Amino acid sequence: MERLLALWLEPLCEERPDGSTLHDHLRLLDALASLCPFVEPVRLGLCVLPLRGPSRFFGGDEAVFAAVRALVRDVLDLDVSLGVGEGLFCAELAARQGVVVPAGASTQFRRQQPLAALGHKELTTTGKRLGLYRVGDFADLDPARVAERFSATVRVLHRVARGEIAELPGQRDTRLGARLRGARGEDAVGEEQTGFFGQRSAGDERAQAAAHRVRHRLGPDGVVVARLRGGRVPEDRATLTPWGSPVKELRDDAPWPGRLVGPSPITSLHQPVAVELRDASNEVVRMGARGSLSAAPTSLLLLRGSRRAISWFAGPWPQVERWWAAPRRRAHLQILLDGGEAMLLCAEAGRWWLVGIYD
Amino acid sequence: MASLRPVALAKTRLVPLAEPWTSLVPGGGLRRGSTVTVHARPGLGGLSVALSLLGEASAQGHWVAVVGVDDPGVVAMSDLGVDLRRVLFVPRPRGAWAEATADLLDGVDIVVLRPPSRCSHGAARKLMDRVRERGTVLIALTEPSAAWPLPVDLTLHLTASRWTMSSRLDARYVTLRVGGRGEAARRGEHVVMLPDVRGRAVAR
Repeated sequence: MERLLALWLEPLCEERPDGSTLHDHLRLLDALASLCPFVEPVRLGLCVLPLRGPSRFFGGDEAVFAAVRALVRDVLDLDVSLGVGEGLFCAELAARQGVVVPAGASTQFRRQQPLAALGHKELTTTGKRLGLYRVGDFADLDPARVAERFSATVRVLHRVARGEIAELPGQRDTRLGARLRGARGEDAVGEEQTGFFGQRSAGDERAQAAAHRVRHRLGPDGVVVARLRGGRVPEDRATLTPWGSPVKELRDDAPWPGRLVGPSPITSLHQPVAVELRDASNEVVRMGARGSLSAAPTSLLLLRGSRRAISWFAGPWPQVERWWAAPRRRAHLQILLDGGEAMLLCAEAGRWWLVGIYD
Repeated sequence: MASLRPVALAKTRLVPLAEPWTSLVPGGGLRRGSTVTVHARPGLGGLSVALSLLGEASAQGHWVAVVGVDDPGVVAMSDLGVDLRRVLFVPRPRGAWAEATADLLDGVDIVVLRPPSRCSHGAARKLMDRVRERGTVLIALTEPSAAWPLPVDLTLHLTASRWTMSSRLDARYVTLRVGGRGEAARRGEHVVMLPDVRGRAVAR
């Protein structure tokens, strides 16, 4: 799960009647966009951004925190409470408490929170009677028993407590985007851009109608839309879903560059293609146990039978295992063919896969 | 009021581009009703050029579509400045690619088309007529084995492609010969860094 940097601005939580609260948010969001294009207003007084990209850019988490603090002070003359956690639920709690939860420690952090953090009064009082004081105590209850005893709402909260859902129902203000759009409209008269915060324009309607026709022609999967998921830092975050269907959770089963820096391939194979690498003496090149290659690859064999000479390669970069997923060992390799084509390969399950082409 | 109208029309006749394309393309934008071809050997950067042309328009609120690109690298597209929220992908239109493209030309401002099979005269003619009629822009991505069968308004011909590397691929310089009708006919060769180390298109 993405590490999110949350900004908690208590003075902005209560909306002032003169509309200045929304304008303050707009100014803040515009300023933050210079640090990271993926800043998301969650509710009044709370916004989040994925930490990894900016951290890489600024050279560390601390540098990002300093930049954000300075920026908030400049723009709003306020001190912001910052927190980092995985998933929106943890990120908000971390921000309210001003703590940075280390990568991988969000489960522990979540479990230590008082049950009241789930924001459900009845659950908190019932929990006390049952001796459940912490989110972790509640998480340990058998889901079947929770389902017997509690309402649907509490069942969802149970999933949040268990880390199966990353945010509380209602944690986001779904109308905030549209309201900010409206507020921006007052500022920028005549600005034609639409749809930024989800508002629909005539152009949107027209495009949707065209998508409808194409889907009718080609079938339900004919038209797809792309999203960068979760914190929306590029790598690992791309997902394509049929147009018109609810956006699915990202399935974690396609090889994808996780820690690769530099440009991403413009063709990213949905289903990786098995390939072979050979060295100068036509031996198969394998990934060694310690993350190195058995030999320098000099040719690429596509299993259709064609063979291409490799003029240069870089890597392999072993993939850092992620705490929430089953351990996977992967390593990525960039190759340049003698015709000038660059490709991204991935080693997994004892063989090489073509996962991307820099067309 | 009447005197303001032509100004507005002149502006809206162009679908916006960002640098480095504004200085390469006559008028600094994609003229509505025009067809563009991006011609390149597969794997050398043609797809990046075609998709990069969508960046500014999508960012400014225009809808765009991508037909026949099987496995779009959406992370790279996002790095190129494409606003994914306004992109419709038709990755595998199979035999119905011309019809799907025509459908989309009614609804979006730019369609990038990589024809999955050779495009016939008739199909190309129909699509280009539709583009003119609808005031949209068609960008056809073609390769030596399957050129676009008709002359178009603007051609970007990728003639050379060279990567720079350090401990990884850093950036690629692509050389483009710009040509086409009218003013576009004598635009000469340009080198664009695409992608640069941050995945963007920039003038060299």
